[in-house]
Amino acid sequence: MLRFQGSASFSLTSSLRKFGWAALLLPLLAPAAEPSLETFRREIQPVLAKYCFDCHGGGVAKGGVTLDEFSTAAALRDPKLWSHALRNVRAGIMPPADEAALPPADAEKLMQWIKLEGMGLDPAKPDPGRVTVRRLNRVEYRNTIRDLLGVDFDTQKEFPADDSGHGFDNIADVLTVSPMLLERYLDAAQTIVAGKVPVVSRVVPEVSIPGRRFATVRVDTTVPAPPKPETPVAAPMAEGAVPAPAVKSETPIAATVAQVAVAGIPAPAAPPGRGRGRSGRPPPPPPPPMTRPAPLIENEVVELSYYTPALVAATHRVEHAGKYQLIVDLTTRERYQDNLFDLNRCRLIVRADGQTLLEQDFVREGGKKFEFSFDRDWVAGDHEISFEIVPVDPQKIQFRNLRLRLNAVVVRGPFDPQHYVKPKGYEAIFPRDPPADVAGRRAFARELLGAFAARAYRRPVDPATVDRLVAVAEGVFGETKNTFEAGIAQAMVAVLASPRFLFREEDVLPLQPGETYVQVEDHALASRLSYFFWSSMPDAELLRLAGEGRLRAELPAQMRRLLGDRRALELVRNFTGQWLQARDILTVPINGNDVFLRDNASSDYDKARATFSRLRGKPESERTPAEQEEMNEARRLFTEFNARPKPQLTEPLRRAMQQETEMVFAHILKEDRSLLELIESDYTFVNDVLATHYGIADVKGGAMRKIQLAPESPRGGVLTQGTVLAVTSNPTRTSPVKRGVFILEAILGTPPAPPPPNIPSLEDAAPAAKLKTMSLRETLALHATDPKCASCHSRMDPLGLALENFNALGTWRTTDAGQPVQAAGKLITGEAFADVRELKHILATAHRRDFYYCLTEKLLTYALGRGLEYYDTITVDRIVAQLEASGGKPSVLLRGIVESAPFQQRRPPATSLATGNRSVPAAESTSMAPLTHRPRTLSD
Amino acid sequence: MHFPTPSSARVTPSFAEMNRRHFLRGVGACIALPAFSSLLPSRMLAAQAAAQLATTPTGAPLRTAFVVFPNGAIPARWWPEGGRDDFKLNATLAAFEPLRKRIQVLGGLEHANAVGGKDGAGDHARGNGVFLTGVRLNKSATDVRAGISIDQVIANDIGHLTRLPSLELSCDALRKSGDCDSGYSCAYQYNIAWQSATTPLTPENNPRLVFERLFGAGAHGERAENARRRMLARRSVLDFVMDDARHLQARLGGNDREKLDQYLTGVRDVEQRIQKAEQFGPNVDPDRPTPPGIPTRQADYVEIMYDMLLLAFKTDSTRVATFVLGHDGDNRSFSDIGIAEGHHDLSHHQNNQERIDKVAQIDRWYAEQFAKFLGKMDATEDVDGKSLLHNSRILYGSGNADGNRHTHDNLPLILAGAGGGALAPGRYVQHGTQPLTNLFLSLADSAGVKKLERFGDSTGRLGNV
Repeated sequence: MLRFQGSASFSLTSSLRKFGWAALLLPLLAPAAEPSLETFRREIQPVLAKYCFDCHGGGVAKGGVTLDEFSTAAALRDPKLWSHALRNVRAGIMPPADEAALPPADAEKLMQWIKLEGMGLDPAKPDPGRVTVRRLNRVEYRNTIRDLLGVDFDTQKEFPADDSGHGFDNIADVLTVSPMLLERYLDAAQTIVAGKVPVVSRVVPEVSIPGRRFATVRVDTTVPAPPKPETPVAAPMAEGAVPAPAVKSETPIAATVAQVAVAGIPAPAAPPGRGRGRSGRPPPPPPPPMTRPAPLIENEVVELSYYTPALVAATHRVEHAGKYQLIVDLTTRERYQDNLFDLNRCRLIVRADGQTLLEQDFVREGGKKFEFSFDRDWVAGDHEISFEIVPVDPQKIQFRNLRLRLNAVVVRGPFDPQHYVKPKGYEAIFPRDPPADVAGRRAFARELLGAFAARAYRRPVDPATVDRLVAVAEGVFGETKNTFEAGIAQAMVAVLASPRFLFREEDVLPLQPGETYVQVEDHALASRLSYFFWSSMPDAELLRLAGEGRLRAELPAQMRRLLGDRRALELVRNFTGQWLQARDILTVPINGNDVFLRDNASSDYDKARATFSRLRGKPESERTPAEQEEMNEARRLFTEFNARPKPQLTEPLRRAMQQETEMVFAHILKEDRSLLELIESDYTFVNDVLATHYGIADVKGGAMRKIQLAPESPRGGVLTQGTVLAVTSNPTRTSPVKRGVFILEAILGTPPAPPPPNIPSLEDAAPAAKLKTMSLRETLALHATDPKCASCHSRMDPLGLALENFNALGTWRTTDAGQPVQAAGKLITGEAFADVRELKHILATAHRRDFYYCLTEKLLTYALGRGLEYYDTITVDRIVAQLEASGGKPSVLLRGIVESAPFQQRRPPATSLATGNRSVPAAESTSMAPLTHRPRTLSD
Repeated sequence: MHFPTPSSARVTPSFAEMNRRHFLRGVGACIALPAFSSLLPSRMLAAQAAAQLATTPTGAPLRTAFVVFPNGAIPARWWPEGGRDDFKLNATLAAFEPLRKRIQVLGGLEHANAVGGKDGAGDHARGNGVFLTGVRLNKSATDVRAGISIDQVIANDIGHLTRLPSLELSCDALRKSGDCDSGYSCAYQYNIAWQSATTPLTPENNPRLVFERLFGAGAHGERAENARRRMLARRSVLDFVMDDARHLQARLGGNDREKLDQYLTGVRDVEQRIQKAEQFGPNVDPDRPTPPGIPTRQADYVEIMYDMLLLAFKTDSTRVATFVLGHDGDNRSFSDIGIAEGHHDLSHHQNNQERIDKVAQIDRWYAEQFAKFLGKMDATEDVDGKSLLHNSRILYGSGNADGNRHTHDNLPLILAGAGGGALAPGRYVQHGTQPLTNLFLSLADSAGVKKLERFGDSTGRLGNV
């Protein structure tokens, strides 16, 4: 068994010694059945009286909390109350900054008393907590299927969304199974197995000749003479043009001038004043130059132009004489052009060994697939297959670059069963041919299905289960019309539909004498590890170590291995995706135009908009000439505005932002750098698109890479990443409140209470006319006028306003709606900052511990798949102490989590622990996360 | 071959004109019931009374649907002016003018359990979670406890009549990461149908999957066979997975058992669907292409989901449905109608006229889509010659009344359809102040649900509907 390294408990005892309350400590080493009222009155009550009772005593109950009404010892054991008090004291929120500060020694004394007495926790044996069996969520299902069978099954599309709690979608209690989801599971199992497991042992051999194997034998890239000048250009007809004699070239053309522009086609001279004005449409664009592109190889295929006479051919060798089938796979291609059609046609002639198999004309049919098949009787040896293009009427104007794409020619055969081969991927499922006899088949089925079920269930499988699986398989292959393989496939479907695949079943080791909790069994630990690090099933090595009972002994090395594997990207992706909401960047609706207008206020545009909304409803016939002129002017302004380049959250930009967030986190993890770099760092990851968006010069190319930021750059750290800035904004503007809440919630771990119902409207605080002229900062300042608003907004508004230099798209700005941005402010804990860089620095130094607590709680929640409870306080404290001592190393955080009691242990099965001298929580849960203003008194 | 006519089905003059085959398919469920009831011993009683269950006086199926829109509505623009019969529709509901004889506007109904009280903030989670359950939600991110929803109460009693006991739809294509509303689990905010207090029925948001679930995958002509194969494939593994579930259940503790119960309930539902498929014969196969997936434009998305609902009702694939147009608190923008701001953000309009107008525009947009759907329902002939809308009861509303203030009294509600003649549409009825659950009791009664004394916070039956 692993033991906690002592730093946390050291710090506990040393701090006790330092603060000299050993007298108090002694009776507390083993938590008593109930707290001592006498100790409380002697040691704790004076502290509370001095620093807390002004608001939480003597009849005053701010936030519904009173701390002076404990009449019995039992009433002191109130984990719900004390966990809120603990968090507030620890984060320096209580006592408030404008009240007398709690001296560190008193704070420490109070917090220790809370843990040991108020909550009744036992530091020597932290309660691992209650866990519910976890269903695989959509991400885990997909990854598990990929690792189990090598099949990518798109669960985002095929399964309903998972519900979430505490901000994560892997929380066991919230992952339910509805009848509809069960149907999906059954169907998914069928689909996955059908796509992977062959149901026959032999098939007709099949060879695919990719298009790129077809070499050019002959091509004529000579551009024919231009059509006669009088041919109307706009009409894509060029009837009657006589082709100039073409120069034939017999060899493949590599570097001849294959694409010569047809210069000098004069546009028809339009008399001034005619033609243009009538429709108001712009004149048609000049026709593209005529070309004769040579056959072009792109990746696996070859593209043949409709416009170019060409012949391509490939030779295929067959070993055996016999019947064959050729399947030709073609796609028509074009470059789409609005309203301009291409009337060119071409004839395709397909030949095998010189004999024509197909002669067919193709017209423009963008993106259509064609398949032709031909039966051949072939002798052993080489056979030539060729494709010839003959342009039909090659003088038509080439608007759409028409091509025939030869994807592949598939040669199937010979059809004589003696030459049949194993299907593709057969060996991956069936390492050898199935025996012919009943007993042999049964044994083989048992071997295959036992191994598969053990992997799929991620633990050893009992013989009875294997018997049942073999029975399922035999039920199929026992019938003569079915193959052995079909039976195995059917049993595999059953495994994937089983709750033992869909849920993570866990065993425990026997309870050791003197222990209160049990260790989870090694296979369960292997799954806890793999689903934490990879969001997927354990691999062969983890399962092997678990089987040998050596996993715990090799835990540090295994953790390094798991983290080094590329599957660890799943931890990065799913954790940052939810903790920082980086997933949402791909879909968050931000309107670039509105954001742009806010930052580039234009009175002309506002005027145009006003005109438009005023006159839109009036029919054109009823407008005065002056009004019509106004309307035209408004239209002109709109057109002009629309034509101006404006930053938008394009798909590539969104992806780059998401990658930035992921890569920064991955970098810190991989290099074991300080986690504080998540808040403040002098580097980030960008590509050309993102760098341009951020205003960073000299980054070329689409690849994301690490860059050193200039000293004055505001970037670096998650708060100034595009993801966070955009997902905390409204569709048309920033939201300092949302951003402030985000920092409190995701960085400092001290979320504000949710807004009370019946929020007064702003009009109650300032007249509408005045509101219109106020800046966002001034509007938010109204929060201070109502103490009910101020108690929370004084915490979140300054944080959010510090980010006002970034608009809703995450680009830098110095004005908002025409007013200069003022980012300076003061935290409720007293620290002043001038801009976002100073704020980041304060967060990474003075509030370092808050951040460590916050991140530890988030990651522990994610790792355990449950919300944290008050009894996790000891575990979290320990990890944070280690983290702090290491300077914030991710390896320490991860190890702290993996070695923690809740990760390694469970409560013993089927016994209630609510006996003896400890209070163990029942099903009722006291969430330690939200710091709510829940009205509560000690009587409830 | 002789088909017995259900004894209680009154034959009206229109009966003779209607498509007989169609009709028989519609009531086929009732005819088949005596044999079918053997597999539902607990529902024997209900089965014997099947002729009255979810059936109109003419013998046509009686359908019930609940459609919820997010964030309430601007009250001043929602409520009609004038009296019960001479009311004048206001701006938000203007689109119902051609249908005013088909709907009734319900005033004065409330959800007291959606009011914060000691639970504090979280009105959007409650607006959604309370809407069809009428109970107080347990405020927790993980310990999810609501109550069975009224659609499921009805489905429990009449679900055996159709291929699907109920259908759950949604146009929430995206889910936000991070916490949901004020400490409530996201389960409350995205689900309105609850099979039990702890099992929400996640709605389907992909029209393709809805269609395939109703009629089978593949092209027209192949679907019935594909659906049959799918059923056979599902059945082939049920015995095994049931055994595995029992194996697992024996080893698990309390909360785990509940998860396994959900799994087993799902297995039983699949079994019943298979048995029903045999009972009812081949699937209906509508002559229309399978929807390709989730459309980009919101209007197209909502329309195709309504179409799925209409198809499900028309083919009598189910008689109970719920549809979440957007979860309460939804912040999507409506660029199609020129509104770039988020809906939820706007709904806290601070009495700013421009924002109020925009919210009202969104309210109106939702109402227009619903009116369009009702128009189609009205134009679709049912098996008894009446319109599909005539034989339905469709409640359209929101779990918040005034989205700005998060109120839950005088909820914006429209009850569309005549319930086969049992309802009296064409009116604007003030119900004083009563729990919305009173209406639910009445709707359950007329669907044939027996012995439902109370539901949620109900205080009695709602009369004058």
